[in-house]
Amino acid sequence: MKINVRQICFIMAAYTVVARLLLFPMELSNISGRDYLFSALAGFAVQTVVIWAVAYLCSRTQKTFFQLLEDTFGNIVARIIYGLFALFFMAGTLVPILEHKLYVHAIFYDTLPSLTVFLPFFFFAVFAASKGFKNIGRSADICFPLFALCFVFIMVMSFGEAKFAELLPVFKTPVTKIFGGTVAGAYRFVEPCWLLMFMGHFEYKKGDAAKITVSYAVAAALVLLFLAVLYGIYGSITPSRQFAVSKTALYFPAIDMLGRIDLLVLYVMEIVMLFWLVLNIQLAVQCISECTGYKDKFIISLAVNAVFIVLTVTLDHKFSAVQGFFASWFWIATLLFTVIFPLCAWALKKGAKR
Amino acid sequence: MTTLEKNIKAIKSVLSSQDILVFEFKSEAGKKFAAIYADGIADKQLLGELVVKPLRAVKPDDKLEDVKQLLASPEVKDCDKISDGIKEISDGNAVLFVDGEKDFFIIGLKCPPVRAVAEPPTQITVKGPREGFIEDVKTNLGLIRKRIKSDKLQIKTVKVGERSDTAVALVYIDGVCPDGLPEKIEKEIAANKIDIVPDSSYISQFIAKKPRSLFKRCGTCEKPDIFCAKVCEGRVGIVADGSPIALTVPYMIVEDFQSAEDYYITSYRATTLRILRLLSVIIGVILPALYISAQLFKIQIIPLQLLLKISSSVAGLALSPSVEMFLTLFVLEVLNEASIRMPKYVGLALSVVGALVLGDTAVKAGIISTPAIIIIAFSAICLYTVPNLVETTTTLRWLFLIISGSLGPFGMVLFAAFLICYLATEQDYGVPLMAPFAPLVKNDLYDSMVKANINNLKRRPEVFRSKNKVRLQSDENKR
Repeated sequence: MKINVRQICFIMAAYTVVARLLLFPMELSNISGRDYLFSALAGFAVQTVVIWAVAYLCSRTQKTFFQLLEDTFGNIVARIIYGLFALFFMAGTLVPILEHKLYVHAIFYDTLPSLTVFLPFFFFAVFAASKGFKNIGRSADICFPLFALCFVFIMVMSFGEAKFAELLPVFKTPVTKIFGGTVAGAYRFVEPCWLLMFMGHFEYKKGDAAKITVSYAVAAALVLLFLAVLYGIYGSITPSRQFAVSKTALYFPAIDMLGRIDLLVLYVMEIVMLFWLVLNIQLAVQCISECTGYKDKFIISLAVNAVFIVLTVTLDHKFSAVQGFFASWFWIATLLFTVIFPLCAWALKKGAKR
Repeated sequence: MTTLEKNIKAIKSVLSSQDILVFEFKSEAGKKFAAIYADGIADKQLLGELVVKPLRAVKPDDKLEDVKQLLASPEVKDCDKISDGIKEISDGNAVLFVDGEKDFFIIGLKCPPVRAVAEPPTQITVKGPREGFIEDVKTNLGLIRKRIKSDKLQIKTVKVGERSDTAVALVYIDGVCPDGLPEKIEKEIAANKIDIVPDSSYISQFIAKKPRSLFKRCGTCEKPDIFCAKVCEGRVGIVADGSPIALTVPYMIVEDFQSAEDYYITSYRATTLRILRLLSVIIGVILPALYISAQLFKIQIIPLQLLLKISSSVAGLALSPSVEMFLTLFVLEVLNEASIRMPKYVGLALSVVGALVLGDTAVKAGIISTPAIIIIAFSAICLYTVPNLVETTTTLRWLFLIISGSLGPFGMVLFAAFLICYLATEQDYGVPLMAPFAPLVKNDLYDSMVKANINNLKRRPEVFRSKNKVRLQSDENKR
């Protein structure tokens, strides 16, 4: 088997959190205000159910998602659906890449550097995306402890400054805004699709569905903790805090003496973030390979990343417009691919039980 | 022409070199013999004692079998092919011809000049055995046999090198070593036709799946105790004649962070030292690059008080921070190289001139700053905490330096991610280079960066998939 359940749990636990530490808190608090925790919670609740459904589906079949589609609808339809998934993964990665470019400029450089300092990311992306599931799993084995260490550091440095009373009173925001936040904030998070792609590539054992779901739920809890701490520190000015993770530990007393040690921690966490960013590209490459039947993943990876380079260069300085567009419209695609398709997978011909 | 003369001529027509000596002698009854051997690597004294003296009693009508009964040497082989005789002479043994007989004997007299067994300079320990391998394969195999007396110990010898005919011994334990692994390695070695194999490092390149990789693909070791422990874990050991460095395959990077002494001291101290080595290597590789990045791109990383000190040191420097660091590192590499190659008595003068005069004058002249010297010196010291990885880590230090000078801290992070991604998928002979971390092998973590107590190391490393998994059986009641 190419990947194992522990590695999937690590991916769920680490990448789910790092994906939500940059602009997600700001976006969410802009819409839902102090009740942004509930917006996040609603999003996580839906995704946890979907993840459980997909994980449980893995216990009923040994087939990959592609084989399920192929056995039910035939090869052509399976290829078309995989092509659509590839497009979804690519589209879903565009905002995170642009967001990440801004984050890199903000925390790695004192002065505003040119776009070219971010472009080498695509060399890494070409290399990593040409690797298969084995690499995804093994990278997660290394990334998880790095993430855990960094997250604990950041939390320890931030916790003392948080005044959790800032989060009270709850439910003062209208319910429509809370759900509006859920929809607008969740458009670029595709965790259930990851599991759909891993399906059939790992050996399912009894209780694995629970392990995967719990690891996602733990990640959700960590994100909620982070959001609570952030709001506890910044209160009503949270909506103006860009790249939240770089702001939470700012007031740690030892920073005066030791310098910005939080930045060093963030640099280590950046490694995990890079692997998270690349995961979607890796899955896009896998989908294109299945869709076209072309096995040279390096060439596919090169082509996919060339598209991203063109888009990154073209959309430089247009992040707000892109983000606004995606927040307004992309949630439909996200709903379709991360909720409806995975749930519909239960209706496919599963073949013999495990 | 007699048979004896014919045989001598046949040998000399091939081995015409002057150091191939022919010693002709007669028994008291007049039977003629000729011993042919290579001067310098065959033991002449043994030839006299074990061959010439006993053969004085041979009678003219004695058959070959009777002659063999009189030979006092414990290593006598019958032979009928001149080509085999030639090989044995080149290997250091002697060929004994008897007049009137076509067949002949090969007498084991091999005695090449070897140095005494001593403590290896690269793996010095305070506690634990001090014996080290030498350049003679037989002595090295003896040191291994001394430690592993099991009937399952297997030693397979392969000859490599078209001209050197170097003996390479594969050492493994049946039932512990994964099935088929020694055969795979043997095949890889035999597939290479080369003139000469002067050292085991040639073999390590022959058997590596990616010989051009920046990272090592074979474990190296100079101490028989460590070698035997590794073989008992399920690895195949490789000992090459002429090399004091033995190889072990499969290899994992974590091995190089473990020192011989870790197994002879308390597990707490061993764990601390291993973590210290890991941190030292990370610091040694990235510190110069991080310093440049901080100066050029993100000054906030440096604490304010330190920043003030650094700014006063670098004020007025003619060179940019990255050029200054490059220059300092270049000087260090030159000093390092020269101090290894220079004769010992010049070496002392070199350290004085290099470290003191050159360093001090360069700072006073405003060419380089004190922090740069401190950082490079500390980096160099850090890297030597894991000497087996120095070839790789020094190269990585240069690469990080170039990247940080051009792309800043993001470049460094990107390069680190690239290395992780690259190393995560690399594997030789089915064992991942990053095991037991990627993939995570829970039980093997007890002897990785952490060194658990011997009582916790009951099973052999899972990553080798040995058939015999248990290495320690102890009475549970005693624990």
